[in-house]
Amino acid sequence: MKIEVKKNIMATNASVAIKNRELLLEHGICMVNLMASPGAGKTSTIVKAIEGTRGLLNLAVIEGDIASEIDSLTIESMDIPAIQINTGGSCHLTAAMIASALDHLDLDALDLIIIENVGNLVCPAEFDLGETARMMIASVAEGHDKPYKYPLIFREVDAILINKIDLLPHCDFDLAQFRQVVQSLNPSASLIELSCKDGYGSDEMCDWLRETASRNRADLRS
Amino acid sequence: MHEYAITESILEIVQAEAARAGGGSVDEITLVVGELTTFVDSSIEFYFTEMSRGTAAEGARLRFQKLEAKAHCSGCGADFRPHNAFFTCPQCRSAVFELRQGQELFIESIEVSEPEGQDTRGD
Repeated sequence: MKIEVKKNIMATNASVAIKNRELLLEHGICMVNLMASPGAGKTSTIVKAIEGTRGLLNLAVIEGDIASEIDSLTIESMDIPAIQINTGGSCHLTAAMIASALDHLDLDALDLIIIENVGNLVCPAEFDLGETARMMIASVAEGHDKPYKYPLIFREVDAILINKIDLLPHCDFDLAQFRQVVQSLNPSASLIELSCKDGYGSDEMCDWLRETASRNRADLRS
Repeated sequence: MHEYAITESILEIVQAEAARAGGGSVDEITLVVGELTTFVDSSIEFYFTEMSRGTAAEGARLRFQKLEAKAHCSGCGADFRPHNAFFTCPQCRSAVFELRQGQELFIESIEVSEPEGQDTRGD
């Protein structure tokens, strides 16, 4: 007996993601899903974002890792609310994990939530978390060929940070080629050169976060 | 590796549908996968074999139907099939387009055996 099913396999995750997004918009909060490979500088970038928006935005961080609380302790030491999610082996965060993290945050007191996704360029791109913006980091040390290898994630983000830009003189990273490839994949994405080590580009990144957060509040009013 | 979560969802949906159909065992599952997703057939099969043990779907065949990617150029309006991730419109070379097909992932249908005891009706 043949049964027509016609059911979207991602539907459960998608419906939770929609609820997350609705909840954020009700509170006028911007939630940025930050994705990158391990070691690209996700936590360092969040530290720079905290420093650069202090007094301007009320920020909280959701930390996704397979194991450990190392990253959330770093964030908490800066007096910023941090929720640690340990995926216990899973290579990405899901909308349901974010929904339970949001339960633990005081949403009325926040303007911006940054999610540090699990270090991976493949799986996180397939799972909508209910974020209102997507940002990724590509670091100079990883090489300029990453957009060829992981095109989906480069196509799906609103901003791309080129981190460790201070290493440019020491690496064979072809910045012009990288920019050209990214441009062809995702013409509307903002490209920001960054060095978490010396702070170069940090202001530009924080401006992007502030603009994105204020656009969210404008959406709420409209 | 994210096929683990996908396979879990497939199994949940299939078990619910089979139970609703009377509780027979599942012989075949037809999945439709857009050609631009990153889901790997063999990886779904691997997880499915392990996760379906002891369920109504144990031993079911998985059939994968690929769905061609389709894009519509926002510049000149041409419809075309993107062959890899680096697509530009073959007519005007614009990189701004609307993806209309190719990122799907759904269960098309399942084939379920008649539940035991079905043919005793009318005795």
